[in-house]
Amino acid sequence: MSVADNDLVITGESVNLRVPFAQVAIDERLGRAPRRLRLPDGTFCEVRDLDQLDALLQSVGHRDGWVDRMQRHLRLVLMALVAFVLVIAAAYKWGLPVAAEIGARHLPPALAEVLSTQTLKVLDGGILKESKLPAERQARLSSEFRALRLPEGGVPSSALLFRRSRPLGSNAFTLPDGTIIILDDLVTSMDDRQIMAVLSHELGHAHGHHGLQLLLQSSAVGAFWTFYVGDISGLLAAAPAAVVQARYSQKLEQQADDYGAALLMKNGLSPGLLAEALHTLLASHPGASKEGYLSSHPSTDARMRHLRELAAAFKPIEPE
Amino acid sequence: MESAPGNITPAAVPAIRAPEQLRFTGTGASYFGIWIVNLLLTILTLGIYSAWAKVRRLQYFYRHTELAGSGFDFHGSPTRILLGRIIAFTMLVVYNLSVRLHSIWTLAVIIALAAVLPWLLRNSFRFRLYNTSWRGTRFHFRGTVGGAYRVFLLNGFLSLITLYIMVPFAHQRLKAYQHDNSWFGQTRFSFHARAGQFYLLYLMLLAGLLAMGIIVAAAGIGGAFKALVEAQQHGGRVDPQVILRAVGILYGTLILVSVIIGPVFHALMTNLIWNNTRLGAHRIECNMSPLRLIWITVSNLVLLVVTLGLFTPWAMVRLAQFHVESIRVVPASDLQEFAAAAPEDVGAIGAETATAFDFDIAL
Repeated sequence: MSVADNDLVITGESVNLRVPFAQVAIDERLGRAPRRLRLPDGTFCEVRDLDQLDALLQSVGHRDGWVDRMQRHLRLVLMALVAFVLVIAAAYKWGLPVAAEIGARHLPPALAEVLSTQTLKVLDGGILKESKLPAERQARLSSEFRALRLPEGGVPSSALLFRRSRPLGSNAFTLPDGTIIILDDLVTSMDDRQIMAVLSHELGHAHGHHGLQLLLQSSAVGAFWTFYVGDISGLLAAAPAAVVQARYSQKLEQQADDYGAALLMKNGLSPGLLAEALHTLLASHPGASKEGYLSSHPSTDARMRHLRELAAAFKPIEPE
Repeated sequence: MESAPGNITPAAVPAIRAPEQLRFTGTGASYFGIWIVNLLLTILTLGIYSAWAKVRRLQYFYRHTELAGSGFDFHGSPTRILLGRIIAFTMLVVYNLSVRLHSIWTLAVIIALAAVLPWLLRNSFRFRLYNTSWRGTRFHFRGTVGGAYRVFLLNGFLSLITLYIMVPFAHQRLKAYQHDNSWFGQTRFSFHARAGQFYLLYLMLLAGLLAMGIIVAAAGIGGAFKALVEAQQHGGRVDPQVILRAVGILYGTLILVSVIIGPVFHALMTNLIWNNTRLGAHRIECNMSPLRLIWITVSNLVLLVVTLGLFTPWAMVRLAQFHVESIRVVPASDLQEFAAAAPEDVGAIGAETATAFDFDIAL
């Protein structure tokens, strides 16, 4: 095989070919695999001496594609590795929260409802039990909750459910469709105004669609993990579901706190109530914040400080 | 290939009558570049590049797989693979949504998906084989659509209603459908394994799983579960240590099943299938060692965890090499002559593959 006047010349025992070089399709150099020169008539010539072929191709000014070059030059490969790590880190830190927020705002409410109904069914069949609170206490809390005025106007549309759970202890949480579940241990450890403060915070999660955001984020992380190791190990691909537990970020907690504080003030209540409630929760989960309500609420001290600052600036207005 | 400077000339061809082992010549280091560039570009293009990535991955593995000194090749077009991925992804989303949103449409959607899936899978087999070649001769898949509905829908349904007793039979029928309808150029593959042989392997699998179950029971998971159930009923608090142990034992079992029982079953099944497949009069021998597969699976898993997944290219190459090199072709006549005498009837094949619905239906 040789080159003459921009023609590829192949000669051998039974072959004698001369083809214009521009008509020859040249396969990429993949590892040590033989490389093929595909001729216009559908036949091809398989070449094993890759370095010699490279020299020949260079002599006619052939330039391999940029992906091809990137795949096999050590410096470019290492740059691709660094770029990959940086892109993933940036996407996780900045891209994912923004995308999840936009996604959560645009998902049809019907989907959130179905997800919440299913989640509740699973929880009710296992970790959650019926509330043992007296009916009149439940009714009073419900009507106080219904009477809250939202910062943006109107009254809460979220459903409020009472449940009891030993493993979860003193706790309250919000499902993707905004349904708030409050547990007996929390109700019995606080007065009504503190409970309204906790519910204001939960309404903040509902208002920001935080439940859906969390769901979208963990789905995206799971999908990426499957994409990353799925080719080689089904066992590893299935691992995150068992190990990773979804948690609200500090940012989402602060958003919910700020919304809760605004809601309390709108109703003539002090944001300090939420700080008090957090303090009570901290005390009811001794041995630091390893499990339960507080583990998903990072840096409780900083949040209480922030709420007390808001409370100090708060001047209650007499309700008319 | 002999070569003088600037000249590369074709080599002479000696006859091959002895068993010829398949060779894999790829290396983790050379695949690493392709793998990481594939990952990067797929992420940057939000998944679009994944079709091109798949072509490069398959070309790398096919071209490093050699029989009698010649590599295999993959010719699939990335746009066809992209189309297949879009269709598969859409079906997956529609399926998930319809399963979650219970309504009258749920059943309709599931029936519609089940109705098109066998046809799509058959076309996907056709795409994969037509785009595979050795020494310039293409493979073909000529399974009928009716056959696809039998092996996927009918046998799947039979397996379900017989409480999975028919699974080994369904598996055997699927392999027969695939291998009996595969061609290399003008030469047809044939499949000779009987359902009884599949049942034997599945019985061994069942025995292995039972033995594992007994070991797990002995490890005290029963006690842990009893404590959990009692706590549920009487409202007592469960010692977190007990829960932790139960979860540990369960996950440990899953790992043991995936690194021991899984590989042993896979090796024995692969041996059974390929030892009973012929290409024309040529036999194929597969001698996959279950113990070596366990070793490769375990060591790959450990190295993947330790390197946070960066070992993936080496792990894939090790696995590919192990699979490829466990296969030998036992020629009934001179293999070189056979390969040289396998011309294409380009016209007929061109017509066969011109349908708009041939693509790789996989994510």
